[in-house]
Amino acid sequence: MSTSPVDEYRGVAGRDDGEAPSSGLGRLALPTRIKLQEYTLVGVVLALVVIGAVLEPDSFPTANNLRAILTQASVVGVLAIGMTFVIATAGIDLSVGSAVAASGIAGGLLIDSGDLVFVVVALGFGLGLGAVNGGAIAYGKVVPFVATLAMLAIARGLALLMSDKNPISLLGSDGVRWFGTGEIVGIPASIVIFLGVAIAGWILLNRTRYGRHVVAAGGNREAARIAGVPVRRVVFSVYCLTGLLAGLAAVLLSGRLASASPVAGELLELDAIGATVIGGTSLAGGRATVVGTFLGVMVFAIIFNLLTQLNLATEWQQIVKGVIILGAVLIQRPERI
Amino acid sequence: MSFTRRLLAVGAALVLVAAACSDDDDGDGAEADTDAEAGAAEGEADTSEPGETVTVAASVPPTDHGWLGQIAAKAQEAADQWDDVEFRLVEAEDADSQASQIQTLINEEPDVLVVLPYDGEQLTPVAEQAMEAGIPVVNVDRLFATPEAARATILGDNYDIGVKAAEFLAEQLDCEGNVVEIQGIAGISVTQDRTQGFADTIEELCGNGIEIVAQQPADFLPDMGLQVMEAILQANDDIDAVYTHDDDMSEGVVAAIENAGREDEMILTGAGGSCNAFDRIEEGGLYAATYLYSPTMAGSAVNLARLIAQDRGMADLVEPEVPSEIIVPPTQVTQDNVDELRDLCFD
Repeated sequence: MSTSPVDEYRGVAGRDDGEAPSSGLGRLALPTRIKLQEYTLVGVVLALVVIGAVLEPDSFPTANNLRAILTQASVVGVLAIGMTFVIATAGIDLSVGSAVAASGIAGGLLIDSGDLVFVVVALGFGLGLGAVNGGAIAYGKVVPFVATLAMLAIARGLALLMSDKNPISLLGSDGVRWFGTGEIVGIPASIVIFLGVAIAGWILLNRTRYGRHVVAAGGNREAARIAGVPVRRVVFSVYCLTGLLAGLAAVLLSGRLASASPVAGELLELDAIGATVIGGTSLAGGRATVVGTFLGVMVFAIIFNLLTQLNLATEWQQIVKGVIILGAVLIQRPERI
Repeated sequence: MSFTRRLLAVGAALVLVAAACSDDDDGDGAEADTDAEAGAAEGEADTSEPGETVTVAASVPPTDHGWLGQIAAKAQEAADQWDDVEFRLVEAEDADSQASQIQTLINEEPDVLVVLPYDGEQLTPVAEQAMEAGIPVVNVDRLFATPEAARATILGDNYDIGVKAAEFLAEQLDCEGNVVEIQGIAGISVTQDRTQGFADTIEELCGNGIEIVAQQPADFLPDMGLQVMEAILQANDDIDAVYTHDDDMSEGVVAAIENAGREDEMILTGAGGSCNAFDRIEEGGLYAATYLYSPTMAGSAVNLARLIAQDRGMADLVEPEVPSEIIVPPTQVTQDNVDELRDLCFD
């Protein structure tokens, strides 16, 4: 292993960052900084659960509510897993919320052809939007922020145009609705899919060469290229991944909503990015953690669930959410800037 | 499109605009009275007759959402039916760009300006400029801050939506039970008024008999409605009714309730008047009522603008001028009357 080009690169990156040689690749030995962040977030999640159990003992700490929280987390969750890969390459994808709406509408237009067609078209449409992002960024050399900002507008416009601004009802489509209300061995389908994506994402990032390439492409890009990482192809692929997962999120959301809405998914990109970043993935790239992202998603979902259950006024919800995010990130910064 | 055309016609009639009245009023006493009192040359009894050709310019916020999406369409359809109206509609991204757009429009000197402001307060100064420049402004839906900013105003009654929903639910629940309120966007007057009207009336009618156990905004968005209602259902074992601020958003709220299998436990009211809501009301069950807040008011505004520009009054009113304020009541739609009102729903 030590003779592979990527491992040589690992040494290069480590020296450049002035960090331990193993950092920056998210491999078997996770960087200690990420570990610490994950422990902190576990603490935040536990604290929120305890607070919830004390304040709402009857309705918060129940199996039913856990299902509700995980179900609610599933849409942002699959987006955030994809976002982790994009941010690992020092990129960003602002278009996922709009892509959710456009993919759902694209599938919805063909719902008469069958539920399977809906799913395939939604996934395919999301993948297509992601491929346009990836192409513009990896081969057109457009800055990710700008390319995906453009796609944010284009995809939302497409969703409104294709739907003629009307939601498409999926009430009669039991197959699509299964993704929102069905169960696999007693566990809601959306939760199983979310956890499946999270586990697959973890394996992909931490146990495959592709995962190492993704992180390497976000570290020192020049060094990665010299070390033989196909940087362009890797960058292209991560946007295809977020696009595909946006399609999947559209399927999950449409199943639960029993309709495809052109105004769905507004600001989902911010939740996905926020969850990824408080999870410990670096916006500067080169450092990524799927476990952290998962915990970040759970923090958001629990805050939303708890504050809504407490019937806290919106203004307070927003302040509390902001303070918890800021606090979580502040606590997990062990090193000086 | 013939459906929306029909819808427009009915909507216009509803708000007393004269377009539909020509056949009925021909030759009856109203014409004589109007002529006598107003001394007007034309008969206001038949305002559908072409008058001098006038230019009407309209400025509206971005129309990407159910209700707003229909505003531009209704205005355009109303203009299209008149041969004597030259019409132009512009959409603005935000309050600032709408202000500059209106300034540009003032320079083009249209006979009348129709404005659905992004925000009533912020666009008051530019509307006043138009009025001072001698261009009458017809204000739609969101009220300007001063009466000097508009020649005529046509708007729905958000407070009354809350009042009527409260009256309906108080009666349905016999003033006893737990109610959830799913609001629109926090911090705008539409939401405030719909909330206040409901709260005031519930308290007045039932005292403490009905408790509002949860009250959360979902921004008029179906997916937010879904998320918020899912969490509220977890926290509340016993819900008798849900008062929501919007039919589109209610789609998500209804999905949450049905996914939880609790649709027999409660009833729900919407607002707006979407055809989906009409379908649900017709089916019966969970979705018990909605309250019309029809985008056809934009079409009525264009019709008013035409009459103002032509210096004519309204056919069914004796006065020679268009009234300065028209408030469109939020007609209640329930299973009893959903059939009659079917033509007024919007997609």
